[in-house]
Amino acid sequence: MKRSSVGFLSVFLAFVVGSVVLFNSPAVFAAKPEKNVKAIKPVASFDVKKMADMSDFDPSNPITPSGDTIKIAVVAAFSGPSAYNGQIYYAMVQWVAHDINKRGGILVDGKKKLIEVIKADHQSKVDQCKKVTERMALQEKVHFFWGTDGSHFMKIINDTARKYKIIAINATCMSDDLQNATNFSPYAFHATFSTEMVARGMAYYYGQIRKKEKKFYILNQDYAFGRQFAEDFKKGLQEYHPQAQLVGEDFHKLFLTDYAPYLTKIQASGAEVIFTGDWLPDAGNLLKQARQMGIMLPFANVYVDEPNYLNETGVEGTKGLTNISAYYDSTPFFKTKEHIQMYTTWKQQQAKWKELPYSSIAFQHFTANAAAWVMTTYWAMSVLERAGSTDPDKIIKVWENDSFEYINGKVVKMRSCDHKAIMDLGVTEYVPPEQQKVSMNIEPFYWFKNASYTGPVYKVPAEKVLPWMDQNLDRCKGKNGWGE
Amino acid sequence: MYISQAMHGIAYGMILFLIASGLNIIFGMMGILNMAHAAFFMLAGYFCYTVVGITGNFWLGLLIAPVLTACLGVLMERILIRRSHAAGHFGELILTMGVASVIVALIKKIWGTESLPLRVPDILQGMVSIAGMNYPIYRLFVIGLALGVLALMMLLLYRTRLGKIVRAAVSDRDMVNALGININLVFMFVFGVGTWMAGLAGVVIAPLLTVFPGLADQVGMDAFIVVVTGGLGSLAGAFIVAIIFGLLNSFGVQFVSQFAPVLMVAFMALVLAFRPNGLFGAKDR
Amino acid sequence: MKNNLSVKIILWIAGLILLTGLPHVIGIYYTNMVVAFAIFSVFALSLNMLLGFTGLLSFGHAMFFGMGGYGTALALTHIPGLAVIPAVGIGAATAVLLALILSPLVVRVSGTAFAMLHLAFGQLLFVVALKLYKITGGEDGIGNFPMPGLFTESLSTSPVHFYYLAMIILGLCVWLMWFVTKTPFGQIQVGIRDNARRIDYLGYQVPQTKAVVYVLSAFFAGIAGSLYGLSHNLVSAEGSLGLWMSFYPIIATMIGGVGSFFGPILGVAVFQGIDELILRYTESTELVMGVILILVVMFLPAGLMGFISSLMLRLKSRSCKNQS
Repeated sequence: MKRSSVGFLSVFLAFVVGSVVLFNSPAVFAAKPEKNVKAIKPVASFDVKKMADMSDFDPSNPITPSGDTIKIAVVAAFSGPSAYNGQIYYAMVQWVAHDINKRGGILVDGKKKLIEVIKADHQSKVDQCKKVTERMALQEKVHFFWGTDGSHFMKIINDTARKYKIIAINATCMSDDLQNATNFSPYAFHATFSTEMVARGMAYYYGQIRKKEKKFYILNQDYAFGRQFAEDFKKGLQEYHPQAQLVGEDFHKLFLTDYAPYLTKIQASGAEVIFTGDWLPDAGNLLKQARQMGIMLPFANVYVDEPNYLNETGVEGTKGLTNISAYYDSTPFFKTKEHIQMYTTWKQQQAKWKELPYSSIAFQHFTANAAAWVMTTYWAMSVLERAGSTDPDKIIKVWENDSFEYINGKVVKMRSCDHKAIMDLGVTEYVPPEQQKVSMNIEPFYWFKNASYTGPVYKVPAEKVLPWMDQNLDRCKGKNGWGE
Repeated sequence: MYISQAMHGIAYGMILFLIASGLNIIFGMMGILNMAHAAFFMLAGYFCYTVVGITGNFWLGLLIAPVLTACLGVLMERILIRRSHAAGHFGELILTMGVASVIVALIKKIWGTESLPLRVPDILQGMVSIAGMNYPIYRLFVIGLALGVLALMMLLLYRTRLGKIVRAAVSDRDMVNALGININLVFMFVFGVGTWMAGLAGVVIAPLLTVFPGLADQVGMDAFIVVVTGGLGSLAGAFIVAIIFGLLNSFGVQFVSQFAPVLMVAFMALVLAFRPNGLFGAKDR
Repeated sequence: MKNNLSVKIILWIAGLILLTGLPHVIGIYYTNMVVAFAIFSVFALSLNMLLGFTGLLSFGHAMFFGMGGYGTALALTHIPGLAVIPAVGIGAATAVLLALILSPLVVRVSGTAFAMLHLAFGQLLFVVALKLYKITGGEDGIGNFPMPGLFTESLSTSPVHFYYLAMIILGLCVWLMWFVTKTPFGQIQVGIRDNARRIDYLGYQVPQTKAVVYVLSAFFAGIAGSLYGLSHNLVSAEGSLGLWMSFYPIIATMIGGVGSFFGPILGVAVFQGIDELILRYTESTELVMGVILILVVMFLPAGLMGFISSLMLRLKSRSCKNQS
């Protein structure tokens, strides 16, 4: 009783505060419209009206069909220090599979087939990754690889995919060199955002939209992706934020224990923003230790967005974090009935999930990375449906130059020459619960009570952050950033 | 800035020492290289998470979690280790690796794979001003606790009858047994103390990081390196080397940040190349 | 006696035919598995040369395994037109070189100190391999290096050719190691394990003997590592130099039986089988592995091989009783 009344009170308060803010300054948070921005027209879109009844979906106890199926291998860490990643990805892909299976499957090669999702555990070891992908190809005879956490693993997935002619869906890994002249394979599709566009997008936000901070410090994980991400951010600053000054740059080892020495250095450097590409658990520990040491600098980040960490760090500690996303690109979030339907379906369903990790608040909202992964998977399945065959060549033909509209109205396009996704990006600044109404424009008008979260979102148009293209790749010679 | 880097180095060194000391005591007294030590350490973090979740009190966690861990340690000694003497030290090593594996697997079954957050208790939150710079109170608490544990261990080993028996048992097990002292009980006690210390370290480090199944790998190796470099079985060695490592780490980051992780391992290789038994290790074991 | 010999010869020929025909029967996936089994067998045997026969436990045997892999991969990447067998040779030579550098340091010590010294150097090499990413590829490792074929086809596209190559090389290695244990030199090794001082008094030079065994062991580990790199067309720090790779042969040897020549092979077979099965039916790799380790130490302290031989002994004694 007591708890619900507190809940009601805070909702009410949030509503009052929010409406005051909204009525006083209706246009404060809207990004300035860009002129002459090339809009991408979607060829296909996700239609929530066709979505099956999801009320029996539970990622802990998925219904897996067998027999003659369309097989997707989710290649990720299901054991070892990053096992959490695998569980998240698996749930997202399962959602899509569950939905499509309940609709009756996909018509391929003259027969309706169901989708079977298989876990492929790479245990965060490259050798194991090689082994497990080979097994998926030779034994399970999968049609799709879906990956993964870490560029070194994605590289191996793409290699195996090329060897056995399997479509590799890259839904989460950002590295640009996966699709360069040496590594490109026609079977690999980079269906999410990529390193250079993200780094430049962040630079664009600070240089062209926000125009406040000038001193940046780069702190990344010490491996191929971290180093590349740092280089790209420097490139982005030169391009979009020439007055910016880089006051320091450091790379720490993966799964670091003590961030204090780095943070002390950063504090002494006079930095105004810390730019980091760290992912969990490093991203969370970095944030936590910084706030413990009283360093309240904002992190310009991609993966410091895990709700459990945010809630633990609290409203004050998470205020001002700047996150860039492949999912949302404008505010308010809910502009259509369809989007609200999708969001509430997810939320109601999630409330029924009883087992960890799916019962935790990390899965409460259908937004950010998780939503992007679901949408990417729907995209791939939509491509398969239109190709009407599991023949990889037919899938490639449809996916190249294809574009797809997410449930929130965002459109992504697959550049045909090097198979990279083109999209608008959204940069958001985390705000305290009472201001979250800007993005969360439906009940209860905030995302989290105990953490700052998505506030105003500023769009970085696709044109300004076209993905990097390797001109040494024969297929791309002489083409512009749109692949034309 | 250099002062605070030094302080961070010492704090990190103290964390390493807390983990390393338990490992060290078990090896020093029983000759067993307990590969499950880091797993016990992690387990204590989870216990603490659960205790805090139920009672909302970090101090209770600090009290209960290490004791629970020690109980498991004692059980392990009684049920597994004591019966595997036939396999020799090599067998015991493999056995403890097996136990480590099982613990990690059970943790995943019980608590899942995600990171579980644990807050610094309210009293220890915030900063304190020392010598003109701000320093997090929690890290000071860690330093104090480690020093306390060191003092306690020293007292126990060198100032009590129990300590005398333990030290005697190390040098001649059969003789002590012949004197009518229950040697098995002594070893069980030693193992319990060792795992209790692992538990204490686990609880202390949890609020700095998060509790997740990779915690053992993350910190365990560093602690292991400390013990080996300091000399297996030497408490003082572990203490000094832990501080050296902490300082190497923070000043390494400050000056040669690219090579900070190499420094520690290079130092270990260098020490062992000249003193194969570690800085303070006893000859021939 | 003669009869026995002809049976032996027939068995050998049957075995050879079986091995030759194997890839055509079991398919690519299981062929690759057999190759992996053979590679790890040689790796575990090389460790057992130190552990079982000389009593030296190393926590850093992956060093030599990794050096073999990196040596081969770098040679194939940077020397155009290099054939496969010299590349394997370069890998093994790299491992031997490392062993030669380390041997003056490590032959002085034994027991825990020997293990820890190797832990230190193994970790150092691992961290350095990650740091020198311009040469070693860091976490990515060196992948997709050219793999010239034995005859016409590239080895990377012909798993069957690779199978034959690996089997011949590894078979030779096993035979050589077996041979060494049977020579007087092998006997001295065992003597060092059991009583080093006595061997010293007998006039044999203990450190030098140790050094020779050490280098030989590194040589075989290097070959195993080199072929492992070739089999995956990838050499990585975690996969070839990581701590797990140092513990793998130790655990396999323990399961199979320390001190018996074929014990490690049995251990690797058990390991591979479990790995294959676990991956299929459950995600708790750790739980199954852990329980097996505990059970082996508790109930089969001499490993599977020890268990089998004690079983044989019991059978024999029973049949003796029956005869009398």
